[in-house]
Formats: sequence, structure tokens, C-alpha cells
Amino acid sequence: MRVISAWKIVFSVVCACGLGLQLSGSPAAEPRRVEISAKRFSFDPGTITLKKGELVVLVLKSSDVPHGIRVRELGLDMKAPKGGSAEVRFTPDKTGDFVGHCSVFCGAGHGSMTIAFHVVN
Amino acid sequence: MIRLAFIVLLLSALIVSGCKAKAPSKGESKLMSGMKHKVLIGNKKLKNPLPATPQTVAEGKAAFSHYCVACHGLDGQNTGVPFADRMAPPVPSLASAEVQEYTDGQLKSVIDDGVWPSGMPASRGMLSDEEVWSIVMFIRHLPKAGSLGEPEMYSH
Repeated sequence: MRVISAWKIVFSVVCACGLGLQLSGSPAAEPRRVEISAKRFSFDPGTITLKKGELVVLVLKSSDVPHGIRVRELGLDMKAPKGGSAEVRFTPDKTGDFVGHCSVFCGAGHGSMTIAFHVVN
Repeated sequence: MIRLAFIVLLLSALIVSGCKAKAPSKGESKLMSGMKHKVLIGNKKLKNPLPATPQTVAEGKAAFSHYCVACHGLDGQNTGVPFADRMAPPVPSLASAEVQEYTDGQLKSVIDDGVWPSGMPASRGMLSDEEVWSIVMFIRHLPKAGSLGEPEMYSH
């Protein structure tokens, strides 16, 4: 009788530990971080490939004046302050090639400051 | 020799007086307006690809405030611009029939390439196509004259 009880206790402890390990061992996967540097009048990288439906964190870092990225077709709009950075969680909902523009007027070459988003399945 | 000096002096006087900024006569204005609307400013048939929504107008207003307010004021009607009527030709109110009669495509052309002869500069490369189109949308939905105050640069 005592032996059975001891086995029950051992079994319960093992189950509990296993469950605990399972819970702590499977955290939600962190979304991919995509870092983009911005300075007058270019983005680096100039082209970014993303997957439709895949959540990513876009990080925009400005090394000079305030900059932004707007892609109207994808509903993306983010701005980084002067010398600072900004993050947005973003899930592209359509495939194709899209051109983003700097959305904060940054000087004489502002109109040609673009970044390409290539969204694939 | 004296005759030559006189001719040079006369030509210099003509050139200098010709360079003086003065308001164009009614006839000159009418002639130039016709030339601009019918000959000089192209892209007559180009359509604005942006949707006519309050958001587009707001984006246009923001882009306008970066690049255009120094001469056109916050409202596009020269409010608070001290030199607007001293330029030759004077800066037009963007709400005037003279401006509103341009097609959307012509307005984009004016913003992209400027207007000759006038003080309107070209913005190509400084603003993206999308921003220029949003400015065209803002010009079609201008606020009441004076309702936005005057540009901050003229308040100090």
C-alpha cells in the first residue's frame, strides 16, 4: 500500500514537472525584426522582402533628421525622430512590389527617398 | 565715341528698368493666363490617382505646409505672406478661378515643373509624386481664407 502511494507521488511529481517544462519550453515565437537605417536621402536596405501574413517588427533608425516610411497600399506608416528610432509590428496582407516614400519632409532630395517592399507568398 | 557711350547708357537703362519688378498690366495678365492654360502648362488630361477622402486632404495639407506655405500661406490664399502682392506677377490665391480652372494634371505639372515666367519654382525631386497629388487634392479643398492663421515664420 505504501509502495503504491509512493509511486503515485513520484508519478504526480514527474507529470507536474513535465507539464511545467512543456509550458515554459514553448514560448510564442518572436516575430522577425527588420532594421532599416534612414539618412538623407536613402534607406538601407533599399529593398525588403516580406512574407504575406507573416508578422514582423519593422525598426526604423534615423541617423540625422526625422524620417518616415509610408506605403499607402499596405497601410504602413511609421516615423522616426531626429537621430532616434521607431518600431511597428506589421503584417503585410497582400503580395506584390510596393514603393514606400519618406513621409517626413527632410530636404531637397526628399521626393526621391524611397524603399521597395517585395511581399511574397 | 560719345554716341557709342550714349547707346550703351541707354541700353543699360532699358535693361535695368526692364528688370524692375512691377505688376503686369491687365493685358499682359490676360495674355499670359491664356498662354499658361492653353500652351505652357501640360498634362491636361492626367487624373489624380488618390482617393478624394478627408485623409488625402489632410496629407495634402501636411505636405503643403512643408513646402508651399512660405509663398502661399497655410490656407493657400496668401494669408500672412508679406510679399505676395509685390511679386511680378503677384502670387495668386489658389482658391481663385485662375488657378481652379487648371485641371488636376496641370496643377501637378505646375508643382513639379514650376511656372515660367513667374516666381513659382519646380519641386521635382523634393516631393514624391504621392505628396504632389495629395497637395493637388488639398488645393481642391482649401479651407476658408484666414482660418488657419499665418505661417509661423512671419509671426516673429
